[in-house]
Amino acid sequence: MTALIELDRLSFRYPGADRDTLRNVSLTIEEGDFVAVIGGNGSGKTTLCKTFNGLVPHYWAGDFAGEARVAGLDTYESSVAELSGIVGYVYQDFQNQLVRPRVRDEVEFGPMNFGMEDFQARGAEAMAMLGIDHLAERFVWQLSGGQAHLTALASVLSMRPRIIVVDEPVAEVDPAGAHALYERLTQLNRDHGITVVVIEHHAEFISQYAKSVILMDDGAPVWHLPVAEAAARADELATHGIPAPQIVDACAALDVPGAPRTVAEAATLLRDAGAVPRLASSLRTDDAAAPHAPGRPVVTASSLSHGYRTVAGDLMPVLHDVDLAIHAGDRVALVGGNGAGKSTLMRLLGGLQVPRGGSIVLDGVDTRSRSSARLADHAAYLFQRPEQMFLKDSVRADVRLHPAGRGRPDADALVDRVLDRVRLTDLADRDGRTLSGGQQRRATLAIGLAMSPALLLADEPTASLDVASRDSVIAMLDELSGTIAAAVVATHDMHLVAEWATRVIVLEHGRIVADLPPRDLFADDALLAQARLVPPQIVALGRELGLDPVPLSVAGWRDAVAPTRTEAHA
Amino acid sequence: MSRKTRDVLSVEWVKLELIRTAYATRGGLFAKMDPRMVIGWYLLLAVAPWMTHNFTTILALFVLTAASAALARVGPLVLGLFLFGFITDFLYAFLAAWLFGGDANTAIALIEINLKLATVSLASIAAFVSLDPEKLSTGLLALGAPELLAFGVSYGYRMMPILFEEFGIVFTGLRLRSAPGPRGFLGLRALWRWGTYAVQAFYPIFLNTAKSVRTTVESLETRGFTANQGRELRIARLSIGGLDMAVVGVTVVAVVAAFGLGTRWPLG
Repeated sequence: MTALIELDRLSFRYPGADRDTLRNVSLTIEEGDFVAVIGGNGSGKTTLCKTFNGLVPHYWAGDFAGEARVAGLDTYESSVAELSGIVGYVYQDFQNQLVRPRVRDEVEFGPMNFGMEDFQARGAEAMAMLGIDHLAERFVWQLSGGQAHLTALASVLSMRPRIIVVDEPVAEVDPAGAHALYERLTQLNRDHGITVVVIEHHAEFISQYAKSVILMDDGAPVWHLPVAEAAARADELATHGIPAPQIVDACAALDVPGAPRTVAEAATLLRDAGAVPRLASSLRTDDAAAPHAPGRPVVTASSLSHGYRTVAGDLMPVLHDVDLAIHAGDRVALVGGNGAGKSTLMRLLGGLQVPRGGSIVLDGVDTRSRSSARLADHAAYLFQRPEQMFLKDSVRADVRLHPAGRGRPDADALVDRVLDRVRLTDLADRDGRTLSGGQQRRATLAIGLAMSPALLLADEPTASLDVASRDSVIAMLDELSGTIAAAVVATHDMHLVAEWATRVIVLEHGRIVADLPPRDLFADDALLAQARLVPPQIVALGRELGLDPVPLSVAGWRDAVAPTRTEAHA
Repeated sequence: MSRKTRDVLSVEWVKLELIRTAYATRGGLFAKMDPRMVIGWYLLLAVAPWMTHNFTTILALFVLTAASAALARVGPLVLGLFLFGFITDFLYAFLAAWLFGGDANTAIALIEINLKLATVSLASIAAFVSLDPEKLSTGLLALGAPELLAFGVSYGYRMMPILFEEFGIVFTGLRLRSAPGPRGFLGLRALWRWGTYAVQAFYPIFLNTAKSVRTTVESLETRGFTANQGRELRIARLSIGGLDMAVVGVTVVAVVAAFGLGTRWPLG
C-alpha cells in the first residue's frame, strides 16, 4: 500500500486565534484505508480534515507551517480546485452543501464547474453508485435527511475523488440512514478503492466499519492504530470523551478481557469465559414493567386523522384514525421511520395545529376551542433543532419569555430555579447559539420547563449529540420527569427509548402499530423489523444470552450479572 | 371560535403557492420553452405597450397577455395579488380624476397608463412563473450575465423554501411563548402583535442561517465554483426548438395585428 496523505510536522493557527489548532501533526494515511478520526470537541478533527483538500490554508488563510502532501501534491503549492479532484468533503450540516435546485444539477455541479465534457456521465455514474438514480429529478428540498446525505455524497463522488471525507455522518440522520450511508462508504472503499476518512463519535460505528482509528487530542494525533487495537484501549478512549461500546462495558463488568466488535462476538467471548449470567430468574422486575393504575388523562386523541397539501396540490394523508390516551406519569417514546407521522402527531397533541378529523382534549381543553398560544400554557413543544428555540439574545431571556409574558409573579424565581436544575446558571447570559450541542439541548429543556406545562413534547431531543452529551440529556430528562405530568418524545434513539421511556408507541404509515413497554418492544423481533428499529447493543446481548428480563442499560446489566459475579467469586 | 385546518389563505398555502410559482411545477405552455426565447418573448410584450397611445391597441395587447397568463397557468396567489393591485389602481385613478376636477379624458389617460402597466405585469408574471431557477439562471448566462448573478438567482430560489420554513418555525415559537393578548377591534391588536413577531423573527433567522451559509461557501469553493470553467457546458444544454419559434412567431403576428387593429378602429 502506498501513502496517500502525508502530513509532516504540520501546524496551523486560524487568523485571530491565540493558539494553534493543529500542533506539529505528523501522520500518514495509506491508500484504501477506512479511517475514523475521533477526539473530543475542539481537538482539531475538522481542521485536520480540511487540510486534506486545501481549504486549510487556502480558504482559511492562517499561520501554516510544515508540509502536507496529498496524492503527491503539496497542498500549499496547489489550489483548492486541483485538490478537490482528489478529495471530496461531505459536511456535517450537509443540507447546506446542496446548492442547486434538483438532485441531478447538484450532482453534475462539480464536474460542470471544472469544465469536464463528460459531466452527465459522471453525474449518472455517481448516482448509480449510491443507488439514488430514481431521485435525479427531485428538488433537493423534497428529500428526506438520508436521501439528502446520499445526494451530498454523490455530488463529491462525481468528481471521481480518491479520498472521501465525511464529517459526523450519524449526526443528522436516523440510525437506519446512518447504517445505509456506512454500507455505501464501505462499498466505495472495497469495490472502488476509495480511501474513506470519517469523523465519528459513535464507537459502535467505528468498530463495525472502520479499518483504522486516529485519536486526536488538543490539535495533535495521540495515535493511529488498526481498529482492533484501538478498541482495546477503552479506558484511554473514555478519557478522551469516547465511551466504549456497551458490549465492551458489558464484558468489563464481568471482568472478561477483550474488545468484541459485534454483539455475536461479545456473546461468544462471554460464553467461552464461562461468565454467562444464568437465566437470571433472581432478577427483580423493575417498576417500569410493573402494572400500575393509569393516572389522570393528560391528553386524549380520538379517531384522529390529518394530512398535508403537497406542492402538486393533492392531500397527502399522514395520520389515520389514531386513538391515544396519555396519562399522568407516562413517559412516552414515539418511534417509527421518517414520514411515519411522529412530528405531525406531536404538533397536533400540543395544539400547534388542529386535526382534519377527530378531536384532541389536552388537559381538559378541546384543542379546537383555543388558540395555540393559549394552549401553550398546557403543553410545551420543543422543536428538533435547538437554535429554533432561541428567540432572544440570552438563554435567560429565552427561558423568561413565557412565564414573564403570562405575568407570573414568581417568574424570576422560577427562571433561576429552572436554570439551576439544568445546570446552566453560569452560561445563562450567553446567546444559546454559542453553546455546545449538549448545553443547547439542556437550554431548550429549561425553556420547556419554565412554561410549567402538563405535557412536554420534544422532537428528537438527543439527535446530533455525541455519546457523552446524549447520556447527560437522557439523565436530565429522567430527573425532570417528576415536575411535569407527562412527556412525549419523538425519537430514533433506542438508547433514549431503553433508558428513559415507560411506554413506546410505534407509528407506521400514520397508524399506531404497537403501544407497549420498551422491554416488550425489544423482545418482539417481528415488530422491530417492521419498524426498522435496532435495539441498543446491551439489549441485543442480553437477548443473545437468553437473559429474561433483558437489561435495558449497562447499569441494568450490572445489576443483572451481579449475582453471577458473587457466585463466581465465592 | 373554532380552529380548523384551512387549505387556502393559510400560511402553509402561501408557502406552497410560492414554491409552485418559483419552481414552475404547474407546467404550462412557456415552461417547455427555451429560457432565452421566454425572456425574448417577455421583452417583446414588455416593450410593445409603450410604443402607442392608441387605446384599441393597448386593449388588444392586454387581452393577448391575459391569454398568455392563462396558458402559463399562473397560480391563484400571484393572480390574486395582481388583481388586487390592478383594481385598487383603477379605483385610485377614478378617485384622483374626480377629486382634482378632471373630466373623462383625465380618467381615460389614467386608465391607459394603468392598462399598460397591467399588460407588462401580466407578461412578466407569465414569463417568470414558467422559468424554474435552473432555466432562468442558464438563460441569463446565455444572454451574457455574469456567472455570479446567474448563480445568485438559482441559489436565491434554493434558499427560499428554507427561509420560509425557518420563518414559520420561529414565528410559531414567538406566538406560543410571547404574552398573549386580546384580539382587539377587528383583530387589530392581534394583527399588531403578529407584525411585531414578524419583525422579531429576523434576529434568530439571520443568526441561524449565517451559520449555515459558511458551509455553503466552503463547499462552493471545493466544487470549483470559483474555477468558473463551466459556462459553455451550461449554455450548450439549451436548444431552441419548433415550439419556441411557433410561440414567438404567433406573438409577433398578434402584436402586429394589435397595432393594425388600433389604426383601423381607434378608440381614443
